[in-house]
Amino acid sequence: MAKQKSKMICPKCGAEMNHHADKLIYPASTEDVKKINAALGGMIEEIHGCPACGAVESRRSGE
Amino acid sequence: MNSRPLSIPVILGTTRKGRMSTHAARFMVEQITELDGVTTELIDISKLRMPTDDAGDGIKDPAFSEKMALADGLVIVTPEYNHSFPGLLKHILDSCLKEYIHKPAGIVGVSAGPFGGVRVIQDFLPVLRELGLVNIFWDVNFGNVAKVFDESGNLLDQAFVGRAGKFLSELIWMAKTLRYGRDNIALDS
Repeated sequence: MAKQKSKMICPKCGAEMNHHADKLIYPASTEDVKKINAALGGMIEEIHGCPACGAVESRRSGE
Repeated sequence: MNSRPLSIPVILGTTRKGRMSTHAARFMVEQITELDGVTTELIDISKLRMPTDDAGDGIKDPAFSEKMALADGLVIVTPEYNHSFPGLLKHILDSCLKEYIHKPAGIVGVSAGPFGGVRVIQDFLPVLRELGLVNIFWDVNFGNVAKVFDESGNLLDQAFVGRAGKFLSELIWMAKTLRYGRDNIALDS
């Protein structure tokens, strides 16, 4: 179980979004290489969906 | 349950002049249009801004991104070029990621020969998986496509109505189920 983090708020309608996925992102630049989670081999992008309007947002895990 | 209509756009995945896949894509749009509670539109990749001096996020078209974000599922119509998918189709699909996650995608294969795009579909599955899309187990295979549609795009083989219906039934079940999950089921619950 991951630790609880702050909920994202939909930038389009203001509703609380649902964090439904974590996607492993492989580094595409030398800058990204510095940010990888060594255990996973990449960076985690959290995917959030808005139940009210269907908008999609994401953020890097840890931000 | 969310009452917004389901959005199932159809992506026409080739830019080649004289493409027969246009007929298949328009046919799929017509089939979806007849369904209650579902909206659709044809997204022709030849109409999209598609720079080739960068890739991924760097070429993201805001209008395409918005359509993918609001989509609940995708129908991807693709011809088979040298046993695989058109490079420009992958180029445009690669421009998005968060927009696709936990959404179903069904593939409609088109070929001039008899195999109906089975090789492009097999090739496409791992790409869709990495993009976060969920594969369905129905395909539509337009083999010998010049015999399936006339030059004006009229369907000559009515069996495709039933095949498309089964494909869409599965896609829409997945779209409803995955929308419920995206809206209501948190990753850690």
